Amino acid sequence: MADIEIEIDGNIINAKAGEMLIAVTDREGISVPRFCYHKKLSIAANCRMCLVDVEGAPKPQPACSTPISDGMKIHTQNDKAKASQKAVMEFLLINHPLDCPICDQGGECELQDVAMDHGSDVSRFTEGKRIVADSDIGALIQTDMTRCIHCTRCVRFGAEVAGIMEMGGTGRGEDMKIEPFLAEGIQSELSGNMIDVCPVGALTSKPFRYELRSWQMNAVSNVARHDLVGSNIYTQTYKGRVKRIVAKDNESVNETWISDRDRFSYEGLSHENRLLVPKIKVEGAWQEVEWNVALDFAVRGLEKNVRQADQLGALSSNTATLEEFYLLQKILRGTGSENIDHRLNVKDIDNTISLESNIKLAGLEGVDHALVIGSNLRLEQPMINHRLRKASLSGASIDVINAMAFDFNYRINSENIIAPNQTALTLASILKSVLKSAHTEVPEYLGNAEVTEIATQLANQLTDSDNSVIILGEHVINNPQALSISNLISEIAQKTNSTILNVSATANSMAAGLAHFVPGKGGLDVNAMLAANLNAYILLDIYPQYDFHHSVQAIEALSNDDTFVISLNSFKDDVVSEYSDVLLPIASFYETSGSHVNVEGKVQSFTAAVNAPSDAKPAWKVLKVLADLLELPGFHYADSMQVTSEIMHKSYKQHVHDENIDITVKRGVNVIWQKSPYAVDVLSRHAVSLQDTKIGQINSASMNKATAKKLEITQGDNYLGVPVSISESVANSCVFVNANHAIRGQS
Amino acid sequence: MISTTAKKQIDNWIAKYPTDRKSSAVMEALKIVQAENENSLTPEAIQAVADYLDMPGISVAEVATFYENYNHRPVGKHTIRFCHNISCMLNGSDDLIAHLEKKLGVKTGEVTKDGLINVKKVECLGACVGAPMFQIGDQYYENLTADKIDEIVDGLK
Ligand code: SF4
Ligand code: FES
Ligand code: FES
Repeated sequence: MADIEIEIDGNIINAKAGEMLIAVTDREGISVPRFCYHKKLSIAANCRMCLVDVEGAPKPQPACSTPISDGMKIHTQNDKAKASQKAVMEFLLINHPLDCPICDQGGECELQDVAMDHGSDVSRFTEGKRIVADSDIGALIQTDMTRCIHCTRCVRFGAEVAGIMEMGGTGRGEDMKIEPFLAEGIQSELSGNMIDVCPVGALTSKPFRYELRSWQMNAVSNVARHDLVGSNIYTQTYKGRVKRIVAKDNESVNETWISDRDRFSYEGLSHENRLLVPKIKVEGAWQEVEWNVALDFAVRGLEKNVRQADQLGALSSNTATLEEFYLLQKILRGTGSENIDHRLNVKDIDNTISLESNIKLAGLEGVDHALVIGSNLRLEQPMINHRLRKASLSGASIDVINAMAFDFNYRINSENIIAPNQTALTLASILKSVLKSAHTEVPEYLGNAEVTEIATQLANQLTDSDNSVIILGEHVINNPQALSISNLISEIAQKTNSTILNVSATANSMAAGLAHFVPGKGGLDVNAMLAANLNAYILLDIYPQYDFHHSVQAIEALSNDDTFVISLNSFKDDVVSEYSDVLLPIASFYETSGSHVNVEGKVQSFTAAVNAPSDAKPAWKVLKVLADLLELPGFHYADSMQVTSEIMHKSYKQHVHDENIDITVKRGVNVIWQKSPYAVDVLSRHAVSLQDTKIGQINSASMNKATAKKLEITQGDNYLGVPVSISESVANSCVFVNANHAIRGQS
Repeated sequence: MISTTAKKQIDNWIAKYPTDRKSSAVMEALKIVQAENENSLTPEAIQAVADYLDMPGISVAEVATFYENYNHRPVGKHTIRFCHNISCMLNGSDDLIAHLEKKLGVKTGEVTKDGLINVKKVECLGACVGAPMFQIGDQYYENLTADKIDEIVDGLK
């Protein structure tokens, strides 16, 4: 890349013509102070802190906005540079309150650091300082706007990255302030990143307010498990508790950003609802006991109840770690049972999406066309949506086929609101159009699909783009034609040379696949297990009323008198205590070591940042001891890493699916049932501040007037326990349920 | 919020710019909307302009709060724009503003009870030769003294 040579502080450095000077100094490890410059944001050059001396230029130049050219000689440390930096520092501090002792940013403040290096120790300013009123911008971000230095990083973050410009600079001169318009609170699902980009203490974490100093905490690298990305984070801990989470750079995963869900869900860890002690149920009454007693009780219970190996079943939530999935299936298979499943929210396992992704997260930025099917990507997979937004900003055209209109934060080329029972037909006509224009034979199953204008348009987009991706989302999993839909998508992708991104599964479900946490030959899937009235279950962090598609049947099946249920849970839950016979308290996020597998198949391992509270233990350890007590061979693991490497040495054949495609339109009202974004798993349901945000309050069953009439309900009624909202943005004959079963209480 | 006549006027301005640069019309649009809302802009009016021009509300608010010719609180029939920039200040504008405030019984920014007059402090109006000065409507009044101010203000109806 050595295009040109420049000289910085006497050293010859190779760089590319046109690069900004600050990018070169950053790469070379030469320190240049800055406030407004941020590598992921546009250049504003408004703080002037980065002034350096460029030979030949009459005045010092801002390194962040000075493109380099051949032979340039730069001094970052000579008298001229230093004097300018000192002058700018003094200027910036004129109106700064210098209230570091009561400022949460103290100790990790760019202003503090730069002032130490470049400032003067005595202020010459004796006049009054300005004071800026704070705005309440919601539950996550605390503002202290008097500290703001108007670098506009937060403003640019909103406009450029979050895609919703929420903060802005109003007023002028002495009266200028950074504030949102209308005190409605911040809406973005990525808002917490403004805390990270703010170089001073103007925007800080509200839940973390006045808690600790940054140097009092340990930072442990970790991986967030709420979505399919596995964003890299630092869990910052103090005295065995997670006190705050900040983003960790990983260009190929989450770049520099994390979602609010990943940043603030940790609050749930200290919720009063945590399950803390092992318990056994003796003659209908719960007893708190020691671990060995509980495990012993569990093992004896299994011995007594499981008369035939196939009478035992194992189910897990999708937030389990790779190692937990693996150990639990190994126990089951060790005892001779193949009844293993994690797809609790799937209505019909034989007829659901089966589609493999073949594009990398970073690759998503480079697509020139995307077809999104059945997803509210922005709220479901914020970081994936962010990548797609970048593609869109660099010119990609994005088409959408959804059952409801959603708020995308980029331009949508065509938003096709189509009833779920028409999705398969629509895809069929796209496929037909693709085949026709390629003059290939049209298979019989596409017979009655009519090639509509929309289908032709979408087909042409896919065919004409060099780098197109089809993204299939969560809303389709329970479509009566889900399997046909996914088969059609693979056909279309193949014929149009498009890649596929399957974001229909959530959290760590990719790990379940890798750990082979699905029924094997002769085994029952989740719904078959519940119907078969098994004698015993081992359940990993399951909350049936939220997790199962068939929740009523599930609770009934598990509550059977002669069903012995061992529950490993991180939180207390009444329904779980009702049907369980043993309750084993387990570690939650960040309290256990393990691995996350993201949508591109990347395995990211992490260590525990803190110990689980009280008597709770990491589930992988509990499962290992349980296996030992059951005298199963092959469970001699000293740490979870040994489990991980065992998994890496195995490979399971992927299920062969039937290629059946059925495109007949099924009549009737289709319900798309989805947990709202901040209620996707037990930890986020307990994160109190997240629940107080706009997104946290999403809780509605949306349908249009015609559907409401058909169902004989009106606005204000409840549908599936969720308040009805009538909106014409929903496709006909479709109810879109976004349920938030957040759990209130103290944390 | 925005009347059809106002929309027509705004459309005229939009037409002057490239089709994907609607936002270029923001200053004129604010002026037009302000004119039909008793000469001041409420947050709702700002939002309406934003919606009409496909801009984020905050972007419009940035413009509307930057320039002195937009008002964000009710104004009187006459706005006295009193310069308090350097030349005028050196020539005693501070005292004269105090005098005016006392005479009218309102602070800068407030409107007299009869709704007739409000005073606004503004920056240099380019009439430093005649400092201290103020502007009412299109008219500049220069070399002001307390007496002169009394005479001008008493003449306002
Ligand atoms: S609030 Fe922080 S990030 Fe935003 S402009 Fe002020 S100093 Fe910069
Ligand atoms: S960092 Fe260069 S002007 Fe702010
Ligand atoms: S300073 Fe008042 S007119 Fe110039």
